Amino acid sequence: MKIDPKTFIHDYQLNICIQCGTCTGGCPVKFRSPLNMRRLVRETHLTDNFSSISKRAELWACTTCSTCSLRCPSGVKNVELIMGIRNFLANKGEVPSTIRDALENTLLQGNPWGRFRDRRADWAQDLGVKIFGEETSETLFYVGCAPSYDPRVQSVSTSLVRIFQKAGVDFAILGKKESCCGNEIRRMGEQALFKKLAKDNTALFKKLGVKRIITISPHCYNAFKNEYPDLNIPVQHYTQVLVDLIEAGKLHLSKELGISVTYHDPCFLGKQNKVFDEPRKILNSIPGCDFIEMERSRERSLCCEGGGGRMWAEGGTEGKRNGEIRIREAVALAAKTLATACPFCLLTFEDSVKTSGLAEQIVVKDIAELVMEALEVQ
Amino acid sequence: MNIAVCVKRIPKTAEADIFIEKDGKDIKKDNLVFALNDWDGYAVREAVLLKEKYEGEVIVLTIGPEESKEVLTRCLAMGADRAVRIEAPSSSDGHLIAKILAQATKGQSFDLILTGVQAEDDGWGQVGVALAQLLGLPHASIVTHIEVENGKAKVRRELEGGIEELLEVKLPAVLTIQTGINEPKYVSLSAILDAEDKETKEVGLEEIGFTSKAPLDATIDQVSFPPTGKMAEILKGTPEEVVGQLTEIIKKKKG
Repeated sequence: MKIDPKTFIHDYQLNICIQCGTCTGGCPVKFRSPLNMRRLVRETHLTDNFSSISKRAELWACTTCSTCSLRCPSGVKNVELIMGIRNFLANKGEVPSTIRDALENTLLQGNPWGRFRDRRADWAQDLGVKIFGEETSETLFYVGCAPSYDPRVQSVSTSLVRIFQKAGVDFAILGKKESCCGNEIRRMGEQALFKKLAKDNTALFKKLGVKRIITISPHCYNAFKNEYPDLNIPVQHYTQVLVDLIEAGKLHLSKELGISVTYHDPCFLGKQNKVFDEPRKILNSIPGCDFIEMERSRERSLCCEGGGGRMWAEGGTEGKRNGEIRIREAVALAAKTLATACPFCLLTFEDSVKTSGLAEQIVVKDIAELVMEALEVQ
Repeated sequence: MNIAVCVKRIPKTAEADIFIEKDGKDIKKDNLVFALNDWDGYAVREAVLLKEKYEGEVIVLTIGPEESKEVLTRCLAMGADRAVRIEAPSSSDGHLIAKILAQATKGQSFDLILTGVQAEDDGWGQVGVALAQLLGLPHASIVTHIEVENGKAKVRRELEGGIEELLEVKLPAVLTIQTGINEPKYVSLSAILDAEDKETKEVGLEEIGFTSKAPLDATIDQVSFPPTGKMAEILKGTPEEVVGQLTEIIKKKKG
């Protein structure tokens, strides 16, 4: 499959750019890399030497948070342009080595870390979870790669299983048959691999008779909801499910947590998919949970830099990480807990808490973990 | 410059749970994923880089069952021009593999024959060197750099202790390629799908004139896990407890 950069002008509407600079103004890696979206759009539009543009290392600094495209008054598809250029590079084999490994791992083992496929459901071994193939259900709890393998995020998967079980939700997981959703794969430029994953996953879900999908990661949620062409199965992020359960009286959050908490909107849940209220409703339902809103919240949430393949990228940015800035913002509010609802945000913030030396002052939690704590009866 | 690269399809075991077959002669492979042997990937990339510099053709060969075709397709996607699969049962006898490869390559006008230093699975490291001997060609093993000039290859070999050896080898020659000789490119799925349309020649042992029924030099009697060492101490407990124990140990050892 050959990609012709000349089609980028039409595909990503580069010719309607008015050069206002809103994209660059809102870019969360603007101060951390030479990436300048306004210039990139114009240069790609006018260049007769695209290959020199495509060699710029900063193309890999973009987190695909989509602030630029969402704010663009003209409708330039900035993030799709970045993904288009990365696709051009991936097809030529010219991607950074850590991205290369993540893509090859996904083709081979079904996850970007290259962890053993057969171990994907080890975290669920003693939880009494139904697994498609052995048993069936109409609801698929799609776990995702990080929540399956990363020890920190496995705690979110485990919490959600216990919460669903307590609320009497009938669900099953795919176990060893689960493969990467491909959201980040597409953002790292491997469109063909994304299409294969989408096709294989869609076929598997339909064969198993899945009628509803619940995801842990907003990234998987985004892929299923917006980018799988033939899925046609309703998808919910787990925060949406928890709100329904709380409102239906199926979850009794009884334990006083006695914490002050602020919430970081994940880009793929908040600004990209407009799920803003559910996480806040959940936090406000937890007894003894004093919720403080951040100044940069909802659409203005500052990207944690975990998206767009940045989880597998090395370097390319300099200076203080956004995660650290975010931790300091939370500490300045006197919040003792920074809550989020995304595996990548959770991991980037866990790192930032440590690198900023603020581990004594604040902890990072996923909303699912807080709900689990509030459910536990002493 | 025409280059043949001999490659192997191997099971990936680094992250996997390994079990031994009932007969004790091999590991169970039905739950493993297979890929191109890492060393061979570097060899194919090196051949393609040499081709880009000196022109010519890159031919990849493998010995193995139908499934081995997938690694040839990958090599074609990496830039190899032609692929040959020699249908034969898999064997751990490196000498036998070398004999088959010698039969398949002899009399053809290759300037270079490349193999990986060794295979990830059985790791004998024999095939390249045995192949050179059988073909009567000079060879260099554990090669980390190649330059071709006036019918000769200047090659660097990796020796122990960080020492390198610079050799001049008359062509044609057999070189066994070390990892790190180049930076492998990403092989995109679309390149692999395109390569599926390229032809892979499939031949049997008889077709290439291999009739030897000589007994195997080596057969596997038994595979087993290494015995657990006595020096290792596995700390148990929650992460906090383990860190506590570990700090105590380090304090003691370091005084």
